[in-house]
Amino acid sequence: MVAVSTREKLKPMVNSGNNAIRIRVRGLGKRYGALEVFRGIDLEAGDHEIVAIVGPSGCGKTTLLRCIDGLLAVDSGEVVVDSERVTSPIAGVAMVFQHFGLFPWKTVYDNVAYGLRMAGISRAEITRRVPHFINLVGLKGFEKAFPYQMSGGMQQRCGLARALAIEPRVLLMDEPFAAVDAQTREILQFELLRIWEQRPTTMLFVTHSIEEAVLMGDRVVVLKGRPSNIHETIAIDLPRPRTRDTLREPRFGELRERVWGTLMSEARQAEFQLGA
Amino acid sequence: MSEHADRLLTLPAAAASASRSRPTPATLRLTAGLAILLLWEIVVRALAPAYVAKPSGVVMAIPHVIVDPVFLNATRITLGAVAQGLAIAIVAGTAIGLLIGRSVVADRMLRHYVNGFYAVPMIVILPLVTLWFGYSDAARLATIVFAALFSIIINVADGARSVPREYLEVANSFRSHRLRMMIEIVLPSSMPYFLAGLRLASGRALIGAVVAEFFAAIGGLGYFILYNSRTYHHNEAFVGVLLLAAFGVGFEIAVNVATRYFLPWYRRDEPAK
Repeated sequence: MVAVSTREKLKPMVNSGNNAIRIRVRGLGKRYGALEVFRGIDLEAGDHEIVAIVGPSGCGKTTLLRCIDGLLAVDSGEVVVDSERVTSPIAGVAMVFQHFGLFPWKTVYDNVAYGLRMAGISRAEITRRVPHFINLVGLKGFEKAFPYQMSGGMQQRCGLARALAIEPRVLLMDEPFAAVDAQTREILQFELLRIWEQRPTTMLFVTHSIEEAVLMGDRVVVLKGRPSNIHETIAIDLPRPRTRDTLREPRFGELRERVWGTLMSEARQAEFQLGA
Repeated sequence: MSEHADRLLTLPAAAASASRSRPTPATLRLTAGLAILLLWEIVVRALAPAYVAKPSGVVMAIPHVIVDPVFLNATRITLGAVAQGLAIAIVAGTAIGLLIGRSVVADRMLRHYVNGFYAVPMIVILPLVTLWFGYSDAARLATIVFAALFSIIINVADGARSVPREYLEVANSFRSHRLRMMIEIVLPSSMPYFLAGLRLASGRALIGAVVAEFFAAIGGLGYFILYNSRTYHHNEAFVGVLLLAAFGVGFEIAVNVATRYFLPWYRRDEPAK
């Protein structure tokens, strides 16, 4: 029940999110009819901080992220982004979806431009920004391609470019690489880290991959239980920039085991509850 | 591709005999068509009076009918009215269909009426239409719109209802307004349904035009066919019938071509013919 904040343990060498709190989640609760998904979620993310959220399937990670984006109404508590209370999607927050969410009738260019047009950005600015972000995610030359002509990895690069193009203060990542194959996933993880180094944003990163959570996050938040809440928050004191070498560091292995242990105790508990 | 593989696996002699025993679809189609025409020709020559249309007579009639100003004018009038009526039905039908598909209130208000009107044979409204609009072009146009409108409404509403949730979620997340969401997300996502509705609507529009011309004696291709039939110019009448059939086929082809050109993302698995 106690949400352990370990932010103070962070060493200065790591990304400490030292500036203003960007996202503040207080006592968040959500239910679908009789099913209570989560309860009493308290969560904060600082400027340029990456908070990874892991948990067993069905624990409500994705629902939590949708509540934070304002796509879903909450039943209790509140979400505040930069002192703006979120009740519907707000400006400056962009989401990358597991299902990519590309529009099949739009080309890569038009898909990337979509968010900008909805944000009311001027035509001149759009024609300036879109090619830049297409280059950034490595899709140069595919501007006129339609989603069906591209692999899953390329489609998610496009989804990422669409989110980045609005130059959001906050990026919400909803298991962004869960639908691509393992190799592509690894490539995209390091691409994302590279892009983040170039233009750091506050990021909530929902994943069911422990390794991914440890690799990405400054902190890893473990959701547990039914209804779920934050079981533990683990500080990831791995230096940045994080690269493939990070995976070989002993500290990476330790942290991965730590998160794994936390999740497994949860899994065992769930098994007991089912058996009872 | 599988054809290619077959060829690799089959000896040349066997392949040749296979192609002899199994003619191409085009050959089959042509053979069946010619057989029907031949049967028609024989039956009419053997049993029917001289004025009854037969294939050879229709073919002979084509050259002088298609340059006949009366025929050309009738064609222009009818196809013009069909185009006009379809345009009205497309605009109104799409708007109403989107509304029904995305608004529960509109759906509850209109659904049964739309389905009811769709099922009403268009011919039964003709007496009313002629009372309202007189024996005029307007009466024909109204019949065409009535015939075409509801199939477009029903299909677009189905399409709007089945927009994948993911698209709407993305649009919401990027703070799209409702109207923009309709135009930019719901409408393009419903295009395949719209096209299905348009195919139905085009056929029904043509029927509507001809029915109106038959029963209200308004000049046009339908009236041309009626007039020629009643004056024992059956071969000439059949040239009109052929043109209507050709229009149906032509519209289908035009829709397919337009689909490939404007909606390359849709039906991408189908090879271009």
